[in-house]
Amino acid sequence: MISTAKSQSHLAAQSQLNILLIDENVQRAESIVTALDNSRYKVSHLACTQAGLLKQVDEIQPDIIVIDIESPNRDMLESLHTISHYNPKPVVMFSSQQDTETINLSVQSGVSAYVVGDIDPERVKPILDAAVARFKEFHKLKDELNDTKQQLESRKTIDLAKRLLMRSNKMSEEQAFHSMRKTAMDTGQKLENVAKTIVSMLRSFEKGNDHD
Amino acid sequence: MIKLEQPDITLGFIPLTDSAPLIVAKELGFFERWGLNVTLQKQNSWSTLRDKLHAGVLDAAQMLAPMPIASALGLGAPSANVITPLVLSLNGNAITLSEGLLQEVLKENEITNVTLPMAGYLLQKVVEKRKHRGLAKLKFATVFPYSCHYYQLRDWLKAAKVNLDDVDLLVIPPINMVECLENGDIDGFCVGGPWNAKAVRAGIGMTALTSFDIWQDSPEKVLGLLDSWHQKNPNSVLALCAALKQACSWLESVPNRFEAARLLSQSEYLDAELDVIAPSLLGSCLTHKSMPPRSIPSYNQFSVSNNGCINQPELVRGEWLIKHMVSAGQIPPNVTIPLDLIGKVFRPDIYQKMRLLIEDKGVQFYRRSG
Repeated sequence: MISTAKSQSHLAAQSQLNILLIDENVQRAESIVTALDNSRYKVSHLACTQAGLLKQVDEIQPDIIVIDIESPNRDMLESLHTISHYNPKPVVMFSSQQDTETINLSVQSGVSAYVVGDIDPERVKPILDAAVARFKEFHKLKDELNDTKQQLESRKTIDLAKRLLMRSNKMSEEQAFHSMRKTAMDTGQKLENVAKTIVSMLRSFEKGNDHD
Repeated sequence: MIKLEQPDITLGFIPLTDSAPLIVAKELGFFERWGLNVTLQKQNSWSTLRDKLHAGVLDAAQMLAPMPIASALGLGAPSANVITPLVLSLNGNAITLSEGLLQEVLKENEITNVTLPMAGYLLQKVVEKRKHRGLAKLKFATVFPYSCHYYQLRDWLKAAKVNLDDVDLLVIPPINMVECLENGDIDGFCVGGPWNAKAVRAGIGMTALTSFDIWQDSPEKVLGLLDSWHQKNPNSVLALCAALKQACSWLESVPNRFEAARLLSQSEYLDAELDVIAPSLLGSCLTHKSMPPRSIPSYNQFSVSNNGCINQPELVRGEWLIKHMVSAGQIPPNVTIPLDLIGKVFRPDIYQKMRLLIEDKGVQFYRRSG
């Protein structure tokens, strides 16, 4: 272990970023650490053969994990996404073999992993910069997608509530909408939440009537 | 006469006792007999083996039985149409507890020795006591999320009425398992050979039960390859399967398996001592430094001649694995399982073609000329 730092800095912030470097090649790792001195990257190094990666991830809370694609620890990293409740960490994998490019094609496409060629200390900073930019872009897209989905869902709920109100209270579409908006304003709630309440209430009434 | 579209094949494997069929097929010339020039490439992790297979860096690979399904569903990596035409082995895993946990089991149950296979309720008592006293949860490790090891461990704990929230299940690379057990990072693990035997030989644990005590004769390792590669090279796939099937059949004989253990121990393969590789291959489960081994004839099973089907990737086995993936919560809500998924991944049709080919001794494979 060369250095560790406890910091909760987030990828999106421009502040210092914690890097966990997993590399059996101690010499290479040391020169990478040196190359990143005085940069915004703070590197903790873990040799592949050392146990306890999970503990490290827990303690360091890395913003990015940089790992040799041939490291046995890859399976442990992969499990962070499936078994444990860790937030997915962006992973930069490097490979000193010729076949990197083809592996990259299959690994990329939106997942938070990124394969680069041999990670020589000269190139390490631009590689990390590119990775950070890429992860940000990916997260932005993901957030946008979630927002859009959310909006669509809320519109659907409002429409449904409107239709149920029209049917049960014999209202026109406009009356139904106005009455929901008024309730929302009077009670200081979001329109979507009012709609949700109406849907669940009217639905349970309808169910009750079905049983009669 | 059938021509091989691609005689040179790169085959990935992870150095484990049940990679025996691949190593036997290479060392005893089964691949060559079918006109194939196979390069075995040792891999350090299942994730990288999978990524290389998806990318075509490996033509085919030994895989954990649930992995082709995970690939098809895009779990852990972008989805890829991986198929399996051949089951390479059954059983082969075991659960080993640390010496410390063994002592705790004895103490909490007020017993002086454990009957094997160890009943789960003995462990349940420890889990309950720890919870009651606010002590740390027990930690168990397996080697990969999409593995029979993981589902077997879960099944054993569930059958023992252990609440899975009361234990921690982790993934640790096999090479670190024994070390982690020794220094107390974990309290037990479920892995394949030779790692259980290694822990017992090192005197740091007890192999409480084998996977055969949990699930009988379920596929453990399979041959995985891309559907697109099969479509381009149907005859090479048949030849590859035929050579591996013959290696499996050769491994049915127990005396042969000792010879296999010698091959496996070489540095380019498992690079391990014969005394940790041979026992499970010979049907012996090492248990503890002060206890005799158990006889588990099916500990590592590669072929059974009175049951011609064990190497056939049967759909019902695939469905069984999917059930376990679902029950382990591994299928995210946004992933739907297509109804014909297993039919696409498990390919008994290729297996049947290969069987006919082996039976029809007149057929020979030739390298494509020029």
